[in-house]
Amino acid sequence: MVQVTINGQARQVDAPPAMPLLWALRDVLNLTGTKYGCGIAQCGACTVHVDGVAVRSCQTSLGEVAGKAVTTIEGLHPQGQHPLQQAWVQHQVPQCGFCQSGQIMGAAALLKDTPRPTPAQVEEAMAGHICRCGTYTRIKAAILDAAQRGA
Amino acid sequence: MERRAFLSLALTVPLVPALAQQAASPPPPPTISATGINGGERGLSAFLAIAPDGQVTVFTTTTELGQGTHTGHAMIVADELGVPMASVQVVVAQPEPALRLMPNGPVAEMYTGASFGNRIWEPRLRRAAAAARTVLVQAAAERLNVPADALRLVDGRVVHAASSRAVAIGELVADARRLPLPETPALKPVAERSVPRREPRTDIPPKTRGAATYGVDVRLEGMLYAVAVLPEVFGAELESHDAAPALAVAGVSHVVPIPRGLAVVATSTWAAMQGAEALRVRWKATPHDALDSAGVSRALAGGLARAEAQRPRNDGDWDAVKAAAAQVVSATYEVPYLAHAPMEVENATVRIQGDRAEVWAPTQHQDWMIRDVAQALGLPPANVTMHTTMAGGGFGRRLHVEVAVQAAHVARAVGRPVQLIWRREDEFAQGYWRPAFAARMEAALDAQGRVTGFFLRGAGPSVMFDYRPALFRNPAFVDPFALQSVTDTRYRFGQAFRAEYARVDLPPKVWLWRSVGSSQYGFFVESFLDEVARAANKDPLALRRELLAHDARVLAVLNTAAEKAGWGTPLPAGRHRGIAYMEAYGSLCAQVAEVSVNRGEVTVHKVTVAYDAGSYVNINTVESQIEGSVVWGLSAMMGEKMTLKDGRAVERNFDAYPIQRMAGVPVVESHLITSGQPMGGVGEPAVPPLAPAVCNAIFAATGKRVRALPLSDQELRA
Repeated sequence: MVQVTINGQARQVDAPPAMPLLWALRDVLNLTGTKYGCGIAQCGACTVHVDGVAVRSCQTSLGEVAGKAVTTIEGLHPQGQHPLQQAWVQHQVPQCGFCQSGQIMGAAALLKDTPRPTPAQVEEAMAGHICRCGTYTRIKAAILDAAQRGA
Repeated sequence: MERRAFLSLALTVPLVPALAQQAASPPPPPTISATGINGGERGLSAFLAIAPDGQVTVFTTTTELGQGTHTGHAMIVADELGVPMASVQVVVAQPEPALRLMPNGPVAEMYTGASFGNRIWEPRLRRAAAAARTVLVQAAAERLNVPADALRLVDGRVVHAASSRAVAIGELVADARRLPLPETPALKPVAERSVPRREPRTDIPPKTRGAATYGVDVRLEGMLYAVAVLPEVFGAELESHDAAPALAVAGVSHVVPIPRGLAVVATSTWAAMQGAEALRVRWKATPHDALDSAGVSRALAGGLARAEAQRPRNDGDWDAVKAAAAQVVSATYEVPYLAHAPMEVENATVRIQGDRAEVWAPTQHQDWMIRDVAQALGLPPANVTMHTTMAGGGFGRRLHVEVAVQAAHVARAVGRPVQLIWRREDEFAQGYWRPAFAARMEAALDAQGRVTGFFLRGAGPSVMFDYRPALFRNPAFVDPFALQSVTDTRYRFGQAFRAEYARVDLPPKVWLWRSVGSSQYGFFVESFLDEVARAANKDPLALRRELLAHDARVLAVLNTAAEKAGWGTPLPAGRHRGIAYMEAYGSLCAQVAEVSVNRGEVTVHKVTVAYDAGSYVNINTVESQIEGSVVWGLSAMMGEKMTLKDGRAVERNFDAYPIQRMAGVPVVESHLITSGQPMGGVGEPAVPPLAPAVCNAIFAATGKRVRALPLSDQELRA
């Protein structure tokens, strides 16, 4: 049992501490919005926040987040209306959408630290996220737009 | 084959032109009648059902891979039927005859491919919705005792304006179902339609909340997780294995043989992955254990050089034209194997209960998945139910269905529902690739620099041979992908045009990869035409206009791209333009790339796209698909390749296979042309022109001609 706060709720997770957070979220807690893309922190699809910092949950063990606060895409905003989520809809960003949970979580961490990023800062912060459908231009526009609106 | 006849047949049978050529006359329009498998007691055809509350369910044939067809299909039905978008939901159907590409033809299959989500299904959905409207209005006419032509179906109600009476469609379904369904109903006049327009996609809001259910997100009661263990060498068979170290991993319960390898089964994906790592496996040697990429290139060169080849196009006397030419331009091009690498890895979830099975998968081919799972389990296909999930990308990859067969083997072996996934490393190594390919081209010019003839020999593995092997029982069959966008080109090359294909069989399995054969021929032909233009001392755009002077439709596409990009006008220092054009899947696409090259580093600043799909459904998704296609083409051109060494794939994950990232993506400016011609596809045709447009701009910038990809392997420094 590992005690973790997941999306604001204290949870006892019945899984070995060595299990990557990604699989604990997906297979034990049924929070499937966080995705497996590569398993080696190269694609960003598994990005979540640990104590407000974006991490790759495929490379973060459950034990490492014991006692900490984990936020997943499901918990980013209670109604799914975070300014980034709204901007994602407005800019019609996703195509297949599989990478977009990770993209949004990465962008949310960026805006927390850098509320008004330049386009170059967006590119730098999002460099670890792959979108195979190629929606990058819309992702960038949505992030800059959400920043304008004070995400 | 005469061009006009080819076109009309190609429209009827878009994917398999060689089959179309065998058809004596165009088939009657496919039926829309239902078997009841989808709509049940509320069905008004195979395509739609209406609930008592008026909610309309559209049974679509297409998997939502990100191309937006589910929204498009809702738009079409809402428009033609006369209901609000909000009361239409789209679900992927169980296959039934009316939902197959050719219900009574050689491809009686329900699947998603060849960019046909709207170009094939828009007319059929519109017809089905019009037929439903017709019987609903008739039912209302009987109930209200007024003539049908005094009624209109508006906002989900059949309205009799003269008496201010109305009946909601949900109340009419039972009566309407007793009426004969018209097979050729009157369609809404074009001027009254609300399509095309820009419509926000219905699948996007859940995708921003992590709430869309992809194949890997399926969770069933009592389900176990399995991971496939596959060989590193294509076709290598299992020699022996020791399951004990895998079974020693906490949570691992079984090691099960599956086609092509083994599966490790556990209580979580992670435990199964740990088990897969621990498993000791020996694979049998194959004759190609030493194959490397140099060997692939040698095999392709052998295909270019060898005497025999298929020759599906041979107009005029190429040999004589070549002998009489004042100048012959020739060049050889080559491209590598490529991976699809969709973000969601291969997966399927199977539950077997008694003599019935259910499959959940992000598949592009429902009929094949049902067929192959049924065969693996020894069940009749009717006992297998398909639940098509959202797909995390497809790009052709998910037309392959073996992962569900593997999952079925595991589910049967362990007696519980099982979700089987492939690890990313196996998807790269054992996924089916875009073939490596080479082409040799020659153009004959007269003394005035006019093109008098053109020769092309393509050499590479046959996608169709791995995709539909049965077609090759006919020895004269020519893989239509092997010279895709070449044999039916609109270019007129003077007095002679010869197109040949030399099939080169190699061990890696190959498959349909977004834009398929056109993906390499765009690069080959459109780069080479730039070489011809230079040899003839002509502007690249001017040469293309000469070769297309007879065809107003394609000239409009070419000219639009050139004008919008400012072709011929000055650019900032260091920037250069290149142009390319290709037609695929019924759509014409020209692109102008604006590029700079600094110390060998290529930057693509802007891509201007002119696109003629004839007509459109959702402008919003058309633009998204064009943008995505440009990035797809850019990614492949810049750095993608699957390298073989010692018979094995070198690139096994995203650290080695460089997918395009955010930095370096150009501005994409799309200009849609509505020519009114039959609708073409939008998911693929903007891929092929990207690489040649950029490489032609690189030539303008550096004088270096790129004849092989990816660019990361080419030396572009001065």
